[in-house]
Amino acid sequence: MVRQLVALLGIEDERLALEWVSSAEAARFAEVVTSFTQKIKELGKSPLRLAA
Amino acid sequence: MNIEGLVNETKAYYCLDCGVCTGSCPVARYSPSFSPRLMVEKALMGKAEDFLRDQDVWSCLTCARCTHRCPANIDYLEFARGIREEALKLDNKGIPAHSGMFQSIMGIQTSGIKQDRIAWAKEAGSIADKGEYFYFVGCLPYFNVIFANFPSQPLDIGRNVIKILNKLGIEPVVSNDEKCCGHDMLWNGELETFKKLAAANIEVIKEAGSKKVIFHCPEGYFIFKNYYTKYFGDLGFDVIHFYDFLAEKLKAGELTLEKSNGRVTYQDPCRLGRLAGIYESPRDIINGVATSFVEMERSGENSVCCGTTGWMNCSTCSKEIQGNRLKESMATGADTLITACPKCNIHFSCAASFIEGIDIKIKDLTEMVVTAMNGG
Repeated sequence: MVRQLVALLGIEDERLALEWVSSAEAARFAEVVTSFTQKIKELGKSPLRLAA
Repeated sequence: MNIEGLVNETKAYYCLDCGVCTGSCPVARYSPSFSPRLMVEKALMGKAEDFLRDQDVWSCLTCARCTHRCPANIDYLEFARGIREEALKLDNKGIPAHSGMFQSIMGIQTSGIKQDRIAWAKEAGSIADKGEYFYFVGCLPYFNVIFANFPSQPLDIGRNVIKILNKLGIEPVVSNDEKCCGHDMLWNGELETFKKLAAANIEVIKEAGSKKVIFHCPEGYFIFKNYYTKYFGDLGFDVIHFYDFLAEKLKAGELTLEKSNGRVTYQDPCRLGRLAGIYESPRDIINGVATSFVEMERSGENSVCCGTTGWMNCSTCSKEIQGNRLKESMATGADTLITACPKCNIHFSCAASFIEGIDIKIKDLTEMVVTAMNGG
């Protein structure tokens, strides 16, 4: 649902991620967050910020 | 505006202490702690702090039953809006329904982002980028996602409006740049957010070169007609309600409808009825699409609100109001309750989904018209 709302608002799909990480998977948590942060940096400023 | 200014503007000082407001209030009936009269009295006595930190500030449905009946003509609606602005300053934010999702969506639209919201309209019929008629769709594309599990799709209303307008030879402008009309933000006490949204919408309509703006949503219609003009003066275009427009066309014989069998009843939306004074047009249309139309015990200016407004404080009180209203509609012997506001439809559909003993179809009037247009 959030994905559809974000699309209506004209925000790129790549800016939203949903991952399941258990509390026992510290390494995986770090990996997921690092790669997502990297992706957002590559995408640059969000249309929300640019518009404001 | 401070409370003293508010008392002066709404002429609350004329209060006769008669209690007609509280007696008419659907919230006070189920939630006795809520009293419009008490709030006015406390404001007059300079004791507004007593209620400004209270949740009750957010309980008012702004349905205008009290304002309509008040013998002293106090503008309770503006009073309710004003005290919310004051309550926000004290950090009393109320409890938004759906965890504030709607408020977020409305707020984001002030930022000037590029929405992608009209794909459905292109599929429903012919629309234009520029032209005389602008169809102001409102929140329907968002509602359609959020209420996807409901029996009727909110966007069907938009699709139906386009189909009917096309049948009348009109290709309306439907714009990706249309924003939330700001109605709910205004009644959430967020005047500045409302103004930003309103200014953007006026610009979008001007750019489309439209002179006639058609609304199906009673909230959009009411807010453009009264508050856009209040804060922005002459808009340079006409604000028209779809049902007024359609009723005229039916009278002129520009559209023929086939009646379908069955008994129907009708819920007057507060914004369309008491606040905009449009009672006849929807009824004229209903009489053109249904063989039997019966009024509920409380209808027209005595109609009862669908139970929650501005996506705030949806509570057990809201559900009591909705359940009782649905039972009232069933008591007419009707098989279908016709709604004219997307929110009435959503609120009643929600209540009907879990309150026991509710057995009545809930349909938007445009759905009936499209069926009747295609031969009943």
